[in-house]
Amino acid sequence: MALALLPDWFRPVAEYMLREGLPETLRLAAIAVTASTVVGVLLGTLMTVRFRPVQALIRLYIEVWRGLPILVMVLFIYWLPDYHFGPFHLRTEAYKSAAIALSLWGSAQVAEATRGALQSIPKEQHEAASALGFGWVGRNAFVIMPQALRRLVPPMVGLLVNIIQNTTIAFVIGVNEFLQAGNRQFENLTTQTGDGHPFMIFGFVLLVFFVISFPLTRLAAFLERRSI
Amino acid sequence: MAALRGGHSCLIAEMRILASFEWSFIWDNRDQLWEGFKNTIKTAAIGVAGSFLIGLVLGAVRAHRIPVLNQIAWAYVEVIRNTPILVQIFLLYYGTPELGLHFETFTVAWLSITIWGGAFNTENFRAGFEAVPTRLREAGYALGFTRLKTFLNVTLPIGGRIALPSSINTYISVLKNTSLMLVIGYPELTSVASNIQAITFRTFEMFSVLAAVYLVIVWTLSALIRLLEARLALPEAL
Repeated sequence: MALALLPDWFRPVAEYMLREGLPETLRLAAIAVTASTVVGVLLGTLMTVRFRPVQALIRLYIEVWRGLPILVMVLFIYWLPDYHFGPFHLRTEAYKSAAIALSLWGSAQVAEATRGALQSIPKEQHEAASALGFGWVGRNAFVIMPQALRRLVPPMVGLLVNIIQNTTIAFVIGVNEFLQAGNRQFENLTTQTGDGHPFMIFGFVLLVFFVISFPLTRLAAFLERRSI
Repeated sequence: MAALRGGHSCLIAEMRILASFEWSFIWDNRDQLWEGFKNTIKTAAIGVAGSFLIGLVLGAVRAHRIPVLNQIAWAYVEVIRNTPILVQIFLLYYGTPELGLHFETFTVAWLSITIWGGAFNTENFRAGFEAVPTRLREAGYALGFTRLKTFLNVTLPIGGRIALPSSINTYISVLKNTSLMLVIGYPELTSVASNIQAITFRTFEMFSVLAAVYLVIVWTLSALIRLLEARLALPEAL
């Protein structure tokens, strides 16, 4: 019923966006979230080890990638000249640049959250584990980490939402993610018919992002309330 | 320079780029970069002031559950927080002419970050105001204060203090988001540096400028948050 009310031009446009753009957005988000989680949890854990130089280096890593606008990082990585070194040939294409920039930013967020979660576990837990005869590894792997990781779940869902939204920044360097797909359709329609229907097309982009993000935000809020 | 992207280059060419970092290049473009910096600051300043006002008013509306306005504020916050700001900018820039509104790039620049920051700040202030214990407000009423007077004299000073650190975090994001105005061609700092890089391929020089400016501002504000958290911490648990 609702579809019948939509104008004729809309269907092919929406189909192109959902078929070409959306998978790219989700793939980029999936790569960035995975990389952020792996690197971030590792760095965040390392930060709780009392060794000043390492702590300072990770602190710098976190503050730099959190302090820069993601767009600036995307542009910088994309601008980097090709790098030839023996058999290695490093080249940052648009997609790769966006994935790397989002991962750097995301890993900084996760590292900070992990450090916070680990340090929020009371000292008594460490002591109790030691009293039960656990060594350093066993104490962290079986007692501290399971509790800390549970506290990490709500912020991770929040990070997922943030990264999905920030994938749109890849638009700037020409990655065909969802916003780009919409923009291309807008430009096509403008050249072909003179009317690009920007309000409906970008409104549709907004709507799709909302439909994806809203349930996740609710989920994060629910998890946060439950996990005290 | 174009040849460097091509593939003939080797480590030597690469090292030449790194070794050829020229401060004079930044100095030569100082006028353009300075203009960009001023535009960034100007846009961010309006964005910060606007999102402060929106956050204050709508945060109070949400915390006091004022009918109708509360629901509208809720919808506004949820829509803005659950959609990318870049899409909001596009909708504002390309979509509004269809509705008969024509905005300049500068208007879109400050308006979009104000709307965005306002939504996040509404949540900050709502949380701050709701953290003020009911008994303090009741004490205000008992002293004969009206609802407005109680808000201004009790809820605002205490709740605003609680909300301050998180709202500064929002202002930091507002500042960083001014960089997105590159997509609508507003000449703020990132956009200016990007244009210079496109012509000259001076990647490291331009990135250094951007990194220095953004990090100095962001780190200063972060330090301010830590300072305020220590200074304004409420003397005892409420």
